[in-house]
Amino acid sequence: MQLAFDQVSFTYDAQTAKRKGKTAAAAADWGNSPDDLWALRNVSLTVNEGDFLGIAGHTGSGKSTLVQHMNGLLSPTQGRVTFDGQDLSAKAAQKACRGAVGVVFQYPERQLFAATVYDDVAFGPRNLKLDALEVDQRVHAALEAVGLSCDQLGAVSPFELSGGQQRRVAFAGVLAMNPQMLVLDEPAAGLDPEAKSSMLNLVAQLHSQGMTIVMISHNMEDLARLCTRLVVLNQGSVVLEGTPEQVFSQEEQLHAIGLDIPAAQALANRLRARGVNLPQGLYATAEELAAACASLYQAKAEEA
Amino acid sequence: MSSPTAMIFGRYAAIDSPVHAMDARCKLTLLLVYIIATICTSTPLGLALCALFTFGFYCAARIPVRTALTCVAPLMIIVILTAIANLFFVQGGETLVILGPLGITENGLHQAIFMSVRLTVLLFGACLITLTTTALDITDAFESMLMPFARFGLPAHELAMIAGIALRFLPQFATELINTRNAQASRGASFTEGSLRERAHAFSALFVPLFASVFRHADTLAAGMDARCYHGGTGRTRLNQHAFHRRDALACAIVALQVAGIIVCTLLGV
Amino acid sequence: MIEFQDVRFTYDGQRYALNGVTTRIRPGEFVCVLGGNGSGKSTLAKHINALLVPDEGRVQVGQWDTADENLRYLIRSTAGMVFQNPDDQIVATLVENDVAFGPENLRVPADELRIRVEEALKTVGLSGFERNETNALSGGQKQRVAIAGVLAMKPQVLIFDEASAMIDPRGRTGLLRVIRQLNSQGLTIIMITHFMDEAALADRVLVMDDGRIVAEGTPGEVLTRAQELRRLHLDTPFPVTFSLACQDAGLPITTTLNTDALEEELCNLLLTR
Repeated sequence: MQLAFDQVSFTYDAQTAKRKGKTAAAAADWGNSPDDLWALRNVSLTVNEGDFLGIAGHTGSGKSTLVQHMNGLLSPTQGRVTFDGQDLSAKAAQKACRGAVGVVFQYPERQLFAATVYDDVAFGPRNLKLDALEVDQRVHAALEAVGLSCDQLGAVSPFELSGGQQRRVAFAGVLAMNPQMLVLDEPAAGLDPEAKSSMLNLVAQLHSQGMTIVMISHNMEDLARLCTRLVVLNQGSVVLEGTPEQVFSQEEQLHAIGLDIPAAQALANRLRARGVNLPQGLYATAEELAAACASLYQAKAEEA
Repeated sequence: MSSPTAMIFGRYAAIDSPVHAMDARCKLTLLLVYIIATICTSTPLGLALCALFTFGFYCAARIPVRTALTCVAPLMIIVILTAIANLFFVQGGETLVILGPLGITENGLHQAIFMSVRLTVLLFGACLITLTTTALDITDAFESMLMPFARFGLPAHELAMIAGIALRFLPQFATELINTRNAQASRGASFTEGSLRERAHAFSALFVPLFASVFRHADTLAAGMDARCYHGGTGRTRLNQHAFHRRDALACAIVALQVAGIIVCTLLGV
Repeated sequence: MIEFQDVRFTYDGQRYALNGVTTRIRPGEFVCVLGGNGSGKSTLAKHINALLVPDEGRVQVGQWDTADENLRYLIRSTAGMVFQNPDDQIVATLVENDVAFGPENLRVPADELRIRVEEALKTVGLSGFERNETNALSGGQKQRVAIAGVLAMKPQVLIFDEASAMIDPRGRTGLLRVIRQLNSQGLTIIMITHFMDEAALADRVLVMDDGRIVAEGTPGEVLTRAQELRRLHLDTPFPVTFSLACQDAGLPITTTLNTDALEEELCNLLLTR
């Protein structure tokens, strides 16, 4: 499985223009500034099987537009997006990819609609025209995967659940499509600390079970801790790409576009600047940095 | 995508002009006078006069030709339908062409041309209001014009408040609807294919979240309005007071001149 | 001065959302209220501006009892509130109309309204946005418009009910800057949050659980009690997490909220002189 962006540029205006058969100039109106900005500019990236690709960037950097290209909801104005070599601007490839690439949008619990948790999770599989038995199996498996019990909650209205549980149900609704790849747009946004960490643990667990994951996040600690590869977007362009270690070593460049590095990494940089002989590398969490400091301390104690 | 507000209230062209600066109440009243005057015009010269005045107002409002045309273009279908109806169904005078059972007569042709020009002039006039007045000012003006009826029990303030909040939330609900559509489409929902039952189900997946969102917003919005001391319209002051300026008087005078011109034309029969 | 005296409140008649809350907030103080979901922190906030009134006990804002219906608008204009979702509290299409909404309700005359709108927008750094559409603003900007809308009522107390939970880090930074500036101008700030870095800015932190205040003190006192915070499903701020991790790894480091102090201590331990 492979999802590839090849020199993708996208503008919302051109789409309007195409649909209406008008030139782009007429689109901006009603007090909005003329939106001739490209939402994506020459984006090239590849997601391979088993990857955990993180995407960082500010609101308006093009992240959400990028996500909508990943299962063909939007098609590039220029360039192409391919899934296993198939161009996603073709209807048939789009359809195949809708099943294979599961997208969990921001605040997915807002899309819950069915009378029961069961029916909501079953919505996707039923759209795939699976038989009742298969649908039933998938609903059970998906709810179990997100740590909910179908027997307990299946018949409950999703609107009666807590915010964290609602999000899990919405998540299960996407998992029930049996995707090969999951795209998550800020899966932990707006959750309280407990719900947040269990949601991220769930994502990490899915990845360890072999799921390919693309995750958008504002939280640099989460990205540093979880991702195998990281892409930083700014104004629609990829400005940095690499392992978290490579990306977070570019502190100045990140600061220049207003992004931070993980707090542990920042502290490690300050200590190094003071002459502390910390090994180079990424310190994603407080624990990692503490361990490195402790071994330095021990080495020093042995010397003395 | 054209904004939903624009679809209901027409497009607004943000330009700094004396027409934009006019009191919205004055504009709405003059529009009414203008519409009546144009409808009552029965002579070609009178109609030409109307067109001339409309053109004058557009110049004063500094609306680019292109913007004016984009605003009126979608409405031209009304003009075309009217023209066709007149062309075939108004009889009298010499028959010019015969198409099957229908004939086009000289009177029909005249009437079709006259009616299309009159309607076009009217549409340009109405569009001038939406092009130069924000939807908010229009609702405000309605509120203030309906105020005299409040003593007869008409909830003028409440109606305007509802319209104002609807205006504020319309674009937001449009965005939310698009987000929901994306999310459900990603779960394989199709809103254009499948049996009627399947499509109905897909649409419920769109509209249930929307209604849920409306209620959620309404709940917190009510708390927010409470927190900002909202307690109905009585005694509220207004940031933007309506005021009748010299430019409004001037516009009234110009429209009066137009009406006078039309009356003269009608009396003279030219 | 805001005073809670043994306040109890229930939404459903079964469980107390506030279960005996007693506390005082001094004028000009910056207080942060922490707590997990359902701890009662938002319920507490809504009692301060009389959106909710106690079932038992008493809440006073200044000398005013919030239970007195006649004082309701006086209390609400003195203690203004900014809510979590920026989209839910903006009533008007244009920025200036939204900012004017509160004072219009308070029957402030038109020429003063204009002055108040300009001043409020200037304070939140949105001068020049008067005729902008509220819909086209970013989340952070919307929250600042909401603050301006409250400021235009000339309040003495500002309550933020998880006002930064739904906006991105850049918007949050701007919002916090405005909040600190308002506090330095003498406004009392009450902030409901679960972001620890916000709590660290406060003069005093209240931690709520199950309708009760379970911890109270300066950020330095409260936020370093890691075990307790974790038990209440709260995070600890990075410096605290780190100093505890160091202690676990065998480094003799004091538990602190201050990154600079941490840096000094580590340098002392790790640098050979």
